[in-house]
Parts: sequence; structure tokens; C-alpha cells
Amino acid sequence: MAMDSGADGQSHKAHRSRHSGASAKKKTKAKNKDQNSDQKQQNPKAFAFRSNAKAKRLQSRAVEKEQRRLHLPVIDRSYGELPPFVVVVQGPPQVGKSLLIKTLVKHYTKHNLPDVRGPITIVSGKQRRLQFVECPNDINGMIDAAKFADLALLLIDGSYGFEMETFEFLNILQVHGFPKVMGVLTHLDKFKDVKKLKKTKQRLKHRFWTEIYDGAKLFYLSGLIHGKYPKREVHNLARFISVMKFPPLSWRTSHPYLLVDRFEDVTPPERVQMNSKCDRNVTLYGYLRGCNLKKGTKVHIAGVGDFSLAGVTGLSDPCPLPSAAKKKGLRDKEKLFYAPMSGLGDLLYDKDAVYININDQFVQYSKVDEMGGTTNKENKRDVGEDLVKSLQAVKSPIDEKLEKTKISLFSHNDRKRRKAIFGDGVDHSNLKSTDEENEGDEDDDSDNDNDEGENDRSNEDNESCSGSEFSDGDEEDLKSEEDDRSNEDNESCSGSEFSDGDKEDLKSEEDGMGNISKWRASLVERASKKQNINLMQLVYGKSASTSNTSTNEVKDDSENEESDEDEFFKPKGQRAKNSIEGLGGGNINTEDCSKSTKISELKNWKEEEVYESIRDRFVTGDWSKGALRNQMSEAKTEEDDIDGDFEDLETGEKYESHQKDDSSNGGIQKEDDDAIEERRLKKLALRAKFDAHYDGSESPEEETDVQNGGKFHRSQANDSGYYDKLKEEIELQKQINIAELDDLDETTRLEIEGFRTGMYLRLEVHDVPFEMIEYFDPCHPILVGGIGLGEENVGYMQTRLKRHRWHKKVLKTRDPIIVSIGWRRYQTTPVYAIEDQNGRHRMLKYTPEHMHCLAMFWGPLAPPKTGVLAVQNLSNNQAAFRIIATAYVLEFNHAARIVKKIKLVGYPCKIFKKTALIKDMFTSDSKWLGLRVQQFEL
Amino acid sequence: MGKITYKRLKGSQNMRQRLLLATLKSTPVLIEDIHAGDTLPGLRPHEISLLRLFEKLTDDCLIEINETGTKLKYKPGIIVGGSHLVHDCGFSRAIGYFLEPLILLGLFARKTLVIILKGITNDSKDPSVDTFRSTAFPLLRHFGVPSEGLKLEIKSRGVSPHGGGEVHLTIPTVQHLTATMWTDEGMVKRIRGEAFTTRVSVQLGNEMIYAARGIFNRLLPDVYIASDYRKRLEAGNSPGYGISLVAETTSGCCISADTTVSYPRGDEEEDIEDEGKKELIPAADVGEKLASVLLEEIEKGGVVDSTHQGLLFLLCALCPKDVSKVRVGKLSPYGIETLREIRDFLDVQFVIKPDPSTGTVILKCWGSGMKNLSRKTT
Repeated sequence: MAMDSGADGQSHKAHRSRHSGASAKKKTKAKNKDQNSDQKQQNPKAFAFRSNAKAKRLQSRAVEKEQRRLHLPVIDRSYGELPPFVVVVQGPPQVGKSLLIKTLVKHYTKHNLPDVRGPITIVSGKQRRLQFVECPNDINGMIDAAKFADLALLLIDGSYGFEMETFEFLNILQVHGFPKVMGVLTHLDKFKDVKKLKKTKQRLKHRFWTEIYDGAKLFYLSGLIHGKYPKREVHNLARFISVMKFPPLSWRTSHPYLLVDRFEDVTPPERVQMNSKCDRNVTLYGYLRGCNLKKGTKVHIAGVGDFSLAGVTGLSDPCPLPSAAKKKGLRDKEKLFYAPMSGLGDLLYDKDAVYININDQFVQYSKVDEMGGTTNKENKRDVGEDLVKSLQAVKSPIDEKLEKTKISLFSHNDRKRRKAIFGDGVDHSNLKSTDEENEGDEDDDSDNDNDEGENDRSNEDNESCSGSEFSDGDEEDLKSEEDDRSNEDNESCSGSEFSDGDKEDLKSEEDGMGNISKWRASLVERASKKQNINLMQLVYGKSASTSNTSTNEVKDDSENEESDEDEFFKPKGQRAKNSIEGLGGGNINTEDCSKSTKISELKNWKEEEVYESIRDRFVTGDWSKGALRNQMSEAKTEEDDIDGDFEDLETGEKYESHQKDDSSNGGIQKEDDDAIEERRLKKLALRAKFDAHYDGSESPEEETDVQNGGKFHRSQANDSGYYDKLKEEIELQKQINIAELDDLDETTRLEIEGFRTGMYLRLEVHDVPFEMIEYFDPCHPILVGGIGLGEENVGYMQTRLKRHRWHKKVLKTRDPIIVSIGWRRYQTTPVYAIEDQNGRHRMLKYTPEHMHCLAMFWGPLAPPKTGVLAVQNLSNNQAAFRIIATAYVLEFNHAARIVKKIKLVGYPCKIFKKTALIKDMFTSDSKWLGLRVQQFEL
Repeated sequence: MGKITYKRLKGSQNMRQRLLLATLKSTPVLIEDIHAGDTLPGLRPHEISLLRLFEKLTDDCLIEINETGTKLKYKPGIIVGGSHLVHDCGFSRAIGYFLEPLILLGLFARKTLVIILKGITNDSKDPSVDTFRSTAFPLLRHFGVPSEGLKLEIKSRGVSPHGGGEVHLTIPTVQHLTATMWTDEGMVKRIRGEAFTTRVSVQLGNEMIYAARGIFNRLLPDVYIASDYRKRLEAGNSPGYGISLVAETTSGCCISADTTVSYPRGDEEEDIEDEGKKELIPAADVGEKLASVLLEEIEKGGVVDSTHQGLLFLLCALCPKDVSKVRVGKLSPYGIETLREIRDFLDVQFVIKPDPSTGTVILKCWGSGMKNLSRKTT
């Protein structure tokens, strides 16, 4: 229209329709009437679909929309307490990042933060902790930050508009698994014109949406009041952060990682003095995230390299969540925060010490009288001061205390101490009956000291316990005890009453013998418990202890053949092998053979009593007994885990009675069925609760109590579709995992699954290049990532790469680029190629303009589907977009095959009918100077 | 980065598990003192053959053996797999020896593995190929391996000393295994089996079947033992006979036993020639003995027999990071060795808890999180 009017050379005033007044009313009325008179509106039901095809289309569209919504459910294997969520605050310089962190910290903890250095951990709610990190502005820092961010707050200067940093960071985030993102507009007080402000907000919002998704949250901070953001707005922002959910990202759930919030150089000073550039030993502290960390795992320190861990220790949480009491909100005392790099927070926990930071002028160290204590001071007391005071209040020193607690220590620590011997037979004495306690005390004390000191079970712990404390006396005791026990076995039950199948026999015997049998049974129980340890030792133990136990076994064997309980778990072949070659020490060239049964030593299965003994293992036998075999053991293991401390005579009795129950009742099956039913329901309820939780509608507590009826039906109703089934399977697996792992005691658990996520860990790494210390900058966060299976190897990776559309030039083959894959960043020279139709990889000299191509480069391998990001220049002072390409790993090879098309120019020297010899094609002085070309007949 | 650090090991024991785990985890290993004290030092023929097999399946692996064969350097490559592969297993060990690591390797390969293995199919030392089909494959199914792709065809049978057997093996690839809770052993509902003869009278096979049935019939009516009597080309180069039995339980566990009777191998032959040809064990006795072996395995309990314990533990350890729980009878020496190797290579420890009431052992482990990294993404 404008064009037209321009052409006419005349501008007409556009018609402005009435919005109010009589004529406008008339118009709207007419419009309404018109609509009302429409047939469709009067009976909408009658006109649902007119066309069959349209209905089909609509339906398929609806179905497709639903399917698009679904994502493959990801298993979240972090159980228990979650680590703090990392909130990365990112933005171009001078946009107000530090100020935002300061005001947020102020909002949460009421502390003023002088400057922001390193991660700052705060308790933000009853169930939630946050860790604020300011993202440095260099590209390396941005890449690292994107790898550990759970939430990225992108600060944008509203008065200026978007800057390159924001888009760069968004691209980095997208490549490394897209965490949650929230935009924050600042500097909005620079707008004087309200309309312009509104327009700008709108514009920026829509630009932001195109980058992320429609409806992505963009938060507005209207301006500064007294150099701070308005309280109300910060409160709202905190509210947004607190309700945010963080979906697990696949790379991170499969790799352990730490955001280092404390970093120390522990190199011996002499070494540094000798050579200031020597390799250093460092300790790194941080919360473990991602997945569990095992002791043998290698780690990658971003920007430094791969290292094996010299030591891992679990420390007590420096910023713990408040105790789970029923109350609303947080008390002031619980609003902890921890920022060692900023030099704040009162406590510093080390492996073997706690440092307390006390402001000198406020503290009176000497004891004050209880009465005369200044009451007004009471309120101001520092945490650190409290601790010092409480230390002063201690009446007796620790060593005295230890002596006093001798006996209680023994029984309490029993489980733990058993673990400590995991590999070697040190603590056999503990498992003996009570009359040995006195003898074992001295040893126990020394052991306990160790344990108390390093309750964290580091490597050193293992070493200190191994071997050295094994005194001959203990061994002697052990043997004699063993003998005693087996003798008693013989006395109290001659013959084979105690073979496993005959529960009836056992019962009758117990009834008859009363007390004695009970006592005996508990002994047997204990013996079987001991077997457990022996078994673990036998498999994993050191050769010394294994041979020790094995000799015992041999002795037992010769003494009585009948007591099945004793030797059940030692395979015959194994025993023979032990006695012959001392296992492990002797023959290292044993034949590799999986079959072990010897045909020569067989029972005579033709005899009736022999084959009747396994009758119940067949369907022709007693089904109830056969079923019992499974159930009883399950129930038993469960029971076993509940009462835990078997050394205690009382529990032993209890245990025994339970067993009697099992065996005596004819219809125990009913009971067992009940137990199973109950367990199943419990599981169901848990699952249902999870489902409800997952869907967003938090189910109230009582609902879980409704077990049988409605709940069960609902879960069945849920069973529609593959997706739900998948989700359910995952949930079930998770429940099983939790249940099974909770069965174990702490130390075994640590052994089995490693350090759990959410723990505060201290990693010791040796031989780190000194530059890490030299150029350490607390503002540049350190990322420590665990290396997964097969990721430490190097080879050629094939990636599907696309040049970033904002990068101005195409990329050239063999131009060095810096790539970021997984935790690593390194420089490499890619070779670009494209796959021809016949499957050949043809080399390209330059990347295609708007297409994906293959890039092959050498480097540490990353699993397929890992995102790759490439930059060419790390410097900060370039205006252009720094990210040159994005890619993902297709596969890796040790060797790759890329072919190159070459053109050779030469001169014919001899020409025959169908053949010509060409010379001067190659410049090398090898003998072969020409090429024979043959023309093919068509 | 450029320097390779080798994991140092000693002796030829557990060569199969060591090489397998090293390949799966891609840790370079250096094994020293291989049969160093023997009169004939160095790697045995079957061990060399195993190395060749690994070389065939992987891409760019590096194997270095010193002159005496007592030292082996192995840097694993990427497991490729692929079809149209042929491997001659030699005569010193049976195909079963090679199959055990091969089926695990095949699962984590890039492409579906189709391989022809030639050599001794049935042997008394190693599980026979029939057992693999009847027991090991159902075992894999418990860990989420699709049963459609698993295939083992016995083209011809061969027994020691001269072999001549041939099997065609197909193993699909998986992205990852699935953890299992497998403690219900159930009750034996049927017994199946296969008796074979090569280059001997068919009557021997029938005798074995008859004798074995005689033992089982008192316990279970559902016993069916098939007969597989090979002739001419399909019968390999040496005479022999054997039987393989498998008991299936109500909960889907398979417990197997097998044996083979044939003339011993070349190196042992010389001693025997003095006494003339040694008599083979009568067929009826073989059937009876093996039935007893199977019953003994059943008596021990557990979800697998003692022969398959190692395979079971390896599968558990290679699961994703979930808890697996299995029940076995007495731990076999091979099982124990496997547990140790798993700890050394994969850093996975099992919690071993005896269950005194049944005389079985319950093992729990937290999988290593193994994934098939060599599979190409599209």
C-alpha cells in the first residue's frame, strides 16, 4: 500500500475505524449477530468432522504430537543426597554478573560477599543446595563452565542487546548436553522511554526464544537501588531457581565429575625449593557429581591432563543440608554457606583437621563463668567460637575416653572392622566367642585408633591394616577355636542331622534338646557367618590368608566328613588345589579350563537314599519344599541384614528362633507368601508414588497407605504403551538397586559401588605440572572429570561436522583447530572428507558451505554420539564469532581410510597403438619415472 | 599420551579371561613367565591360536611374543567382528575353549559376528558345542541378548586326536547388557540331551542313552535324549562318542553336563602305544556316569552349573551400573579365578554371601557400566 501511494505521489490518511461510541457498538453487535446466526455455532456437536480424511489427519497429528513429546527415559543412578546444583552466571563483561551472585548470596544467607572468587555453596532450602559460579569470559572458561552447569543464568545487557558471548555460550551448552537456561536482562533502568523499554524487551525475548525454544524464561531485573538489584526481584529470581527441575544429562550421568571449590598445593616445600618448576602434588576438593567414583578411576583435569588418583577421601559435608525436622523454611543457623576460594565461611575441613576462622576482635578465648557470661554476647557467637568453646568444655582427653569405651567400641565397630580386613585375615579374633575378647583387646585398641583417625577408609587405611598386625597368637587361637567348634559339632549331633534339606529333623532335635540346641544353633549361625568372610577372603584375599584358611579347611575335612555346613562352600577341586600348590603363590601356569567336575568321584545315584535326597529339586517332588528353598533364603538374608550384629548373643538367639519358626511350621509358606506380598505392595506403592511425583502432581503421604485396591488398579491402568513400560522397568531397577545396596554395610558398599554422588571428596593427584599452581586463578573454575571405559586410549575419531554458519570462512583440511570433546579440550589437525555414493571417503580440502562433512582427527577417544565443539582462536579480543564448527562422534578407529583424488601432469614419451608411456609425472628421483597408461577398448 | 603403560601379569593362567577383559576394557597387558619352567617353554599351540582369533576379530591390535614364547605383549584394538571369518582352532584344545571368550567378545563388536570354527567340537576337557547351544545361549538371554541372532550350527563333529569338526557361529551385537536378579533356581521340569557318535557303531549311542535314562527315570518322566549319529564327512577324522545333558528348571535355568570319549592326543599317544591301544570307557558307563554328574550339579544348586559360573560372573560384571544378583552352587575354581580377574581388570567386586540353608552362594555386584563403544552411530 505504501508502495502504491508512493507511486501516486499522494499520501492518503488511512481510515481509522471507530473503537468506541455508538457506531462502534453497532458494528460489534452486528458481528455478534452474524456469528450467532451461523449454523455451526448453534450445534457444534453436530459438526465435529465432516470429512473422513480430515479426521484421520487430525488424529494422526495428535498422535504424532504426543509421540514427539516423549523422550527416552534416562536412568538417574544417583541415590541419596544430591550434590548442590551448579548455577553458572554468564554474560559479557560489565553486565553485572558478580553483582547478581552477591545479591543472591545476600538474599539467601544475609552475608555480604566482598568479591566473587570460585564456587560459592549455599543452602537454599530444606532439600536444596546451590553452588554459584561466575563464568570467566575466555573461551576455555566458558567451555569448562558449560560442562558442569546445571543451570545457566545468561545475563544480557538490555540497553545494549545481545553480545557474542551469550550466543557462544549457548552454542557450547548445546554441544555438551543442554542444561537448563534462563536469561536475565539487566541495565533496564537506562531506558527512559517506557514504550521503548517494552519494545526492546519484546524484541530481545523473541530473539532469545528463537535461540532456545518458544517460551524460554527471560527474567527482567529493572535496575539498581543503592548499587544492588531490587530485593523483590532478586526474591522472585530465587524463587524461579528454587522450583527449577534439572533433568539428567547423558554424558554426565555416565561420568563422575567434580567442580573444585578448594584447591591446595601439598608438594613438600623442600622439593619446591630445590626446583621451583618441579611437578607438584595437589589436593582438589569438591562435591562428587554425575555417577559414582571408584578408586581406580583415572581423572582428567580440564586444561591440565589425565592423572590417576593418588588418594580419594570422603570428607564430612562442609555445607550440610538441615536436619529433616518438620518445619517451615530454614532457620538462620542453617543458612550455611561455603566458599573457601573467596576466603569466606567459618570452617575449613581437611582430611585430618578442621580449621576454624574466627574474627579476632569479637572473641574471648578464655573460659567465662557460666553466670557472669555476657548475655548480649551469647547471641553473636560465631560457629567457630562455639566449636572452640565446646572443645574447652571437654572433661577428659580423647585417649582416656578411648580407654573407657573399650568394650562398647568392640561390639559397635564390629562390622566396620570386619571390612577393614577384607583382604587379609587380621581380625579373626573378633569373630570368636566372648571368652576371647579379653585377649584380643590390645590389638583391638590399636586397630581402633587407626579406624577412628581415618574413618574414611582411604588406601592408606588398607595398607596399614594389612599383614603386619597378624600375630601368631591369633592364628593359634583361630585354629584351636576351629577345632573346638567342629568337635562340638560332632558331639551334639552325631550323624547328618544338619544337612541342609532336613528342616524337620532340625526342628525335632531342637525341641528335644531345648537350651543346648539353641545355643548350638546360634553357634552354627555364627559359623556360617564366618564362612561369609572366609568366602570373600578366599576369592579376593591375599595369598597368605587364603592359604591359612585353606589349611583349616583341610583339617576340618579330615576330621568330619559329615558336617556339611562347614565345607559347603569350598569346592572340592579348589581345596585340593589349595593344599597342593598354595593358591596364587605357586603355579601361575595352571591350565585354563572351565570344567571342574571329576567323573571319578561320584556318588552312587542308583541308591535310593541318594537320589531321594534331591527329589525335591524336581517337579515330581514336593513343590512346597522346593519353593521353600528360595523363599527361606531370601527371608533369611533380609532378617540377617536387619539385626546386623551377629556377635551379640541376643540377636543370635532371636535369629535362631526365627529359623525354628520357619522350619517347624508346616504351613510356613503362607507366612512367607504374606511377607512376599507385603514386599511387593511396598514396591508398588513406592513406584506409584514416584509416578505421581514424576507427573508433577505430588501425591500426599496418606495415599501411599492405600495399598491394595485403587493403587494397584491404577498402576495396571498405567501399563499402556511401551513408554510407560520402559519407565516402569527403570524405576523398578532403581528400587532394586537401592534395596540391594542398602543391605550392605558402609565399607562394603564403598568397595562395591565406590564413592556416592553428593559426597564431598578430597582428591589427591601427584605429579601435576607446576603451571597449574603457578597460573591458578580462583575465578577460573577447575573441572575434574572421571574417564570412562576406553576413553584413555588414543586413536582416530570420525565425526560428522558442520561449520558454524556464523563463522565467516570455510575450514581447511589440516589447519589446526582446538576441539572440546567430553571433558577434554585439545588441539588437533582434522582431515575433512565426504562419503561418496559408493561408500568411499573422499578427502575434501575445504569444508562444504552449508553441509555436514566428515572430519577425521587423532586424539583421545570419546564414545560415539559425544558432542564436539571446535574453536580456532582462543583470544578474547576478536569481534567475530569464535566457534567455528560443531560436530558429533560417529565412531572411532585405530586407522581410517580416506582417499584423495590427484591429478598428475606428464608428457608422453612413447605412444603405441593402445598404450602410452608418460614421463615426468613424479618429481622424485626414484626409478619409476613414468606411468603406463592403457586405453581400454569400448 | 603417546606412551603405552602395560598392565603386568605373570603366567599363562586365565589367559582367556585376561585377554578378553583386556580387549573389552582396552587395557594393554604384558604377560611374563608363560610356562617358563616347563621343558617346552612358551605359549601353547591353543594359546597362540587364541591370540590369532583375537587378532582376527579386532582392528589394529598389537601382539608381540618373544623368541622363547614366554613373554607376551598385547595391545588390544577395537572389536570389529564381521562375517566370513574362518578360524582353525587346532587340535590341542576343543572349540569350547575358544567359544567361551568369543561369545562375549562378539556381543561388544561393531558388526554381527559370523565365524566358522574348525577343530575339535567335543572334548572331555572343555564344554562341548552342544552345551553352548543348550545352556550358554539361554544364559545370555537373561542378560538381555536377543535370542534370534544367536546361532550355532554343527556342520560336522570332530573329536580328538584329529578333529575335523566345523561349527558356524553367529553372535549379534548389543548396545549394553541388562542387569539381572536371578536367584530363583526353580525345580527341574525336564531333561534333554544329545548323544553323538562319530566313526563308531551307532549301538554305542543307544547304550549311552539307555543308561542315562535309567538313572533319571526314577526322578523324572520327562527325559528325552536325542541321538546324533554322524557319518562320513560329517563325522570328522577320529572315532569317538559322547553325550551332553541339560536339565531345565521351572524358572528357566539350564544346568548341563557333558563328556566325550575318544582316543587321546598326539603327545600322550607315545606312552600308550607301549601298552597297545588303550581301551575306551564302555558307552553304558559313560551314560551312567554323566547322568550322575548332572544329578550332582543339580544337587549343588544355583542358577547355572559349575562350568558356566565364569561366564555368568563375567556377564554380571559387564552389566550397566546396576545391581545384579545371582545364585550359584559351590564356587568352582574357574569361577573364583574369574572373579579375581574381574576385580583386577574391571574394578568390580562381588559381595559373596553363602546361603547355608540350601548350600548355595549368592553373589551381588554393581556392574562396570560397559557399553558397546565400537558400534557405529548413524
